[in-house]
Amino acid sequence: MTDEFEKNFEKISDYLDGELDPEGCREIERHISECPKCRDCLESLQKIKALCREASQEKPPPEVHKRLLNTLRECLNHEHKA
Amino acid sequence: MTDTLSEKTDAQLIEAFKAGSMAAMEAIVNRYEDRIFTFGLKMCGQLQDAEDIMQETFLNAFRYLDGFRQETKLRNWLFKIASSACIKKRRKKKCEPDHELSLDAFPGNGKNTTYQIPDWSNDPSSAVMRGEMKQIMDTAIQALPHKNKLVFNLRDIEGFSTKETADILGISVESVKTRLHRARRFLRKNRQGLQGAGTR
Repeated sequence: MTDEFEKNFEKISDYLDGELDPEGCREIERHISECPKCRDCLESLQKIKALCREASQEKPPPEVHKRLLNTLRECLNHEHKA
Repeated sequence: MTDTLSEKTDAQLIEAFKAGSMAAMEAIVNRYEDRIFTFGLKMCGQLQDAEDIMQETFLNAFRYLDGFRQETKLRNWLFKIASSACIKKRRKKKCEPDHELSLDAFPGNGKNTTYQIPDWSNDPSSAVMRGEMKQIMDTAIQALPHKNKLVFNLRDIEGFSTKETADILGISVESVKTRLHRARRFLRKNRQGLQGAGTR
């Protein structure tokens, strides 16, 4: 990555998170509209973020849930009585 | 009882638990266990570790609930405990990378150790595509250095703000941004696999 792209990468990443001030937003939006490489970068980061959110709905197996509750009941009841 | 409790706020459940209600404890677990389990799994990649982290998180949370300040969100507090548990577990194991690994070299294909979450979708084609994307993403996340992985999981997977992530990890906002940039740069560099799986 070139130094300029490296610098823009951080701005694009901050832009994606809404971390730039209004002037910073306008500046990077203007740049993105003119630079295909940075536009591609923004799109790929948006895609990664969306994929991460989509692929993150996971549930513990039922036996794990059951073991957790049993451990908590046992430990907390025991400590409460002590 | 549990149905009614599930409609209560966190503060109400905490009060009920402090008054001795085990049903309130169960309601808190039901509310947050999927997120804590997912976090443990994304951080460690193994079912047993995720279970240990989830157990340690809830056990410590309920033990020290008296010291919990209500101005902090319960969810943030649980993730603070879970993050500490992940750091502690890593110190014990000392087997995770301190630097980024190439995905080609990464042993994410470790068939014996990595827990594959079952996909419950009824649509076979979308299940295959989602499963494929998920596997590529999980492998890429696993290849991140531990510190960057912690930040990436909290920011981009759990959706905490930069400030919240900094508070949870006890680091500066600038450090959160630096680590997040590094993680995203690495994942983007390896995005060919993601695009291939995502556009079919």
